[in-house]
Amino acid sequence: MKKYFLKLFYALIVRPWLQLIIGVRFENRETFDGLNQFIVVANHNSHFDTVSIMAALPSSKLYNTRAVAAGDYFGKTSISGSLMSLFFNAILINRNRQKGQPSTIDILDGYLKQGSSFILFPEGSRGKPGVMTDFKKGIAILLEKNPGIPFVPVYLNGFGRVLPKDKKFIIPLICKVRFGEPLFPKNKDVDSVLNEVKDAIVSLKNTDERDRNQFDF
Amino acid sequence: MNILGYQVPKELVVVMSIVFGVLTVCSVIFRILAKRKPSKMLTELIVRTNSWWFIAIGVAAVVIGPAILGTILVGYVSFVALREMLSISRFREADRSALFASYFAIPIQYYLAYKGYYEQFLYFIPLIMFIGIPVILVLTGKTKRIGVSMSLIPTMLMLTTYMLSHLILLFSLNVPDNSAGAGGLIIFLIMCTSFNDVFQFTWGKLMGQKKILPNVSPNKTWAGFLGGILTTSILGYCLQGLTPLTGQQALICGFILGVMGFLGDSIISAIKRDLQLKDTDDLIPGHGGAMDRLDSIILTTPVFYHMLRFFIAQ
Repeated sequence: MKKYFLKLFYALIVRPWLQLIIGVRFENRETFDGLNQFIVVANHNSHFDTVSIMAALPSSKLYNTRAVAAGDYFGKTSISGSLMSLFFNAILINRNRQKGQPSTIDILDGYLKQGSSFILFPEGSRGKPGVMTDFKKGIAILLEKNPGIPFVPVYLNGFGRVLPKDKKFIIPLICKVRFGEPLFPKNKDVDSVLNEVKDAIVSLKNTDERDRNQFDF
Repeated sequence: MNILGYQVPKELVVVMSIVFGVLTVCSVIFRILAKRKPSKMLTELIVRTNSWWFIAIGVAAVVIGPAILGTILVGYVSFVALREMLSISRFREADRSALFASYFAIPIQYYLAYKGYYEQFLYFIPLIMFIGIPVILVLTGKTKRIGVSMSLIPTMLMLTTYMLSHLILLFSLNVPDNSAGAGGLIIFLIMCTSFNDVFQFTWGKLMGQKKILPNVSPNKTWAGFLGGILTTSILGYCLQGLTPLTGQQALICGFILGVMGFLGDSIISAIKRDLQLKDTDDLIPGHGGAMDRLDSIILTTPVFYHMLRFFIAQ
């Protein structure tokens, strides 16, 4: 039921709205052809990032792909929590973990073992506009624990202007979701894997392209 | 002649048959050639022709369909063009609410055009928005570099929306019954404008050494400019059947449209050069952005409308 709801909701409402009104462009969506399970990794500038990546995924992959959200922010009320899980398949993670609760890595690893795919922002929170902060180690550990699952790098450009941090309303401006080819990490140690992931995202930025995740002045 | 339930003047049917005929021939020939001997240039040509199909069908819908459909289509084109220009311009974070307001001006402007509220149409953007946007900017309280935003946002609104919305006013213009109507005027305008681009390009390639604007667009030459406007004048004379104009008036219209097309093209070229961009966007395959296509028509439309008023309303 939810599977068809998601397909229809994204095909009839989210995608047309993003493409015709906001001006989001999806590039290289074919990268998902033949992929069953993957971890999408992207730079993070805006609350708009997750919905755009979800909309860019092929419809058949939607149901099985999960976003991860901060439970202490989005799960404040039960309504916003259930909306997040309805529209984004979101898993709410409490950032202030109590002793005895399972760690974030273990929770995500459990979902991966069950066959879910993920959209992750290794920068953690959205940080300063346009500046890529250091990556959290989690992504490298997950990739190491699941050697059969590739990561798909994404470069997001423009979302920081469409909906910057701490702003309430969205303005239409052209922005891009550019997928790279699925990759398996070559190295074993955490720091090198993190660098590989970061390089994969940065390499998707065209040399003549301006970074439009921040305003110019 | 009756097409899909709409009464279409025969002059329009002739012109549109020619356009779609040429497109069909091009598509077929390019595909046959590409099958025999694939090359990068042919792929590029096919992509471009496909985009032309898209544009031609859109224009046909505006011309043949009811005025409300034309208003929505042209209004959306304005929106895409404004979004494109705002996306490439450099702004401050404090400008967001003014950008938001500028998008809102589009439906209002097109509503005024559709209803034929001529006076309000004339002053809404040049007066209300040109005051309203600076006021919104002032209310944000951030003064650094505010002057640039105050001029940039209303100007972009002017170029993309005010100019193009004159196309809708053509629907409510009182043209004599024996002419091809508003559709004929729109076709006349679009043909003169787009062929002017082609003529200027061709004349510039054929003979042309002396550059006309070397620092803005190095490809434009005096020969291209003069040859272009003269050929466009002749084209205007030949297409007079689409309009209620006399031959002499159509010749003058063609001449002025040629000059205006050149100027519009140069304005957008200058903006692109300042921002070090080749195209304004990659929206239309093989053509660049919407504004790369619209650059000449933004100036020809209002000028054409006012010339018609001057010639016909006497």
